[in-house]
Amino acid sequence: MFDQGQPSYADVNKDVLSSMLETGPRYWVLLGTTMSVAVICFFMPWVYQLFVGIGAAGMNRNAVWGTYISNFIFWIGLSHSGTLLSAVLHITNSQWRKSIYRSAEAMTLFSLMTAALFIMVHVGRVWFVHWTFPIPNPMGLWPNFRSPLMFDVMAITTYLTASSIFIYMGSVPDFAAVRDASTGLRRRLYTIFSFGWRGTAKEWHTLGWAYTFFAVFVIPLAVSVHSIVSWDFALSIVPGLHHTIFAPYFVCGAIYSGTAGIVTVMYCLRKFLGFEKYIGQVHLDNLGKLLIALSLIWSYINILELFSTWYGGTSFEIEALKFRLTGFYAPLYWEMILFCAFVPLLMLFKKFRLSWNKMLVISILINIGMLTERFIIVATSLPRKFLPNAFGFYFPSWVEISITIGSFAIFATLFLIFIKWVPAVSIYEVKETLKPLRRDA
Amino acid sequence: MAIMGTFVFEEDFLAAAENLKSSGFDNISLLSPLPLEEAQEVLGLGKSPVRRFSLAGAMIGGAAGFAMCVATALVFILPTGGRAIIALPSYLVITYEMTILLGVLFTLLGFHIISGLPAWHDEPYTESAGIDRFVVVVEGTDGEQAARAEAIIRGAGAEEIQHVEEKS
Repeated sequence: MFDQGQPSYADVNKDVLSSMLETGPRYWVLLGTTMSVAVICFFMPWVYQLFVGIGAAGMNRNAVWGTYISNFIFWIGLSHSGTLLSAVLHITNSQWRKSIYRSAEAMTLFSLMTAALFIMVHVGRVWFVHWTFPIPNPMGLWPNFRSPLMFDVMAITTYLTASSIFIYMGSVPDFAAVRDASTGLRRRLYTIFSFGWRGTAKEWHTLGWAYTFFAVFVIPLAVSVHSIVSWDFALSIVPGLHHTIFAPYFVCGAIYSGTAGIVTVMYCLRKFLGFEKYIGQVHLDNLGKLLIALSLIWSYINILELFSTWYGGTSFEIEALKFRLTGFYAPLYWEMILFCAFVPLLMLFKKFRLSWNKMLVISILINIGMLTERFIIVATSLPRKFLPNAFGFYFPSWVEISITIGSFAIFATLFLIFIKWVPAVSIYEVKETLKPLRRDA
Repeated sequence: MAIMGTFVFEEDFLAAAENLKSSGFDNISLLSPLPLEEAQEVLGLGKSPVRRFSLAGAMIGGAAGFAMCVATALVFILPTGGRAIIALPSYLVITYEMTILLGVLFTLLGFHIISGLPAWHDEPYTESAGIDRFVVVVEGTDGEQAARAEAIIRGAGAEEIQHVEEKS
């Protein structure tokens, strides 16, 4: 598992904590850049939109959903692999999970936060966003729980809460390690964060049980969240969206893009935080194999979607399909197929799977493809419902494009803040993968 | 008074814990930088009661989720297209999510209650237990008993033995 030989327990503490406690100028430049991009590209256009109204976005009478919703799905999707993969691998007791899961879970959390921001941007009058929560309005009217949009609110709130607790509880022993290695205000803060953890057998025992139960709860939750997101579309009768395959299609796509996201994040952790010792070839190889499997499932579902539309023969559905394959956005569709169905096949070759640079490129291409997939779902369906006289067109405005770019900066900013506050690699779980020191050795 | 023995090797630490336990010392804490199943076995920690919290949370969550949907539909009856006022298929989704939400929150509550955390008061602790040392703490001993405990810890190969005043 360790490419550069097994480290000692003390090395693990030293390496992980130094990535948190030692901060060079490069970090501050990077953080300043991402924060600036987030403000300029995301928050300033959003404020502009709040002043001039939602018309600043390219959405119109037919296309009432645009890139804000497609980006929302993308970010929810990206959130999927972190917690889900971590939970599944925890239950199956996979050793290779241990050095990568913390960052993967953080990815989940920050992707979810970014996704939630898109809902606020999309609704326009953000000061009424609390209407989506189960609180009665002054007339005693409650939200309609028959609506898939309410399913979404409940699912995402639950997912955000469960993911936050999952990552926090897994970090408590490591917060204690940070407490012990620091002084002053930081020590006081981490004393609070770690709840006074000492690492007694009873504490480990209770944490182990609780953590397993969190994992058991999180797995079906993660599957349900993206199924529910898909029902926002599939429970409508819009041609191109009304498919029973949508729930597994979305869940598979989410895990796919999330796993690709993990590869990208792992590359950055190795490169910029010096975790080469802990994140090695075995992680890359396993993630690569997982990506191939997911790519094949994703491709199969796409073929199935085409086939069932063709076989169904409904004229509205056939028209929607034709527009998707040959219409204005067809180049994006075929780009998606290239990046998500064909490029990942390169990972069948071990040479590609074991090369960090090649895997980085493939993982980014997959996520470009997945971002496009979500855009195509929204942009080629709602504006072209049923009769041609009601057809419209959707093209994102500069505000939407800018906010999309800004969202990546928000994610990066949150992640950069995270790596200085939480050990990005789980100290105690890495120690579990090491052979214990023996007197006779 | 508490006696705290620090060990370099996991095997020595476990041997000391077993000896102490078999010699009748019940008030012992075993500190380690990583979870050790063997240490938990020595203390006889079986199935954790956390699971009862999880089950209770899930059941209460499911019931509360379903009740919330039904109650809100009945408080303000809003007929749409002849559909059922109490729409079971839709409400199952909310019930499912609330089952998980409260299941997770109750598990968290169970963790805190059972582990006794947060515990910000001073307890016998050494920072090396968070790095690479294994520590046995025998609490509430004095006189002859303390000497016996110390002998067992020393005999198992402790690197260091400390006597710590317990704060009541």
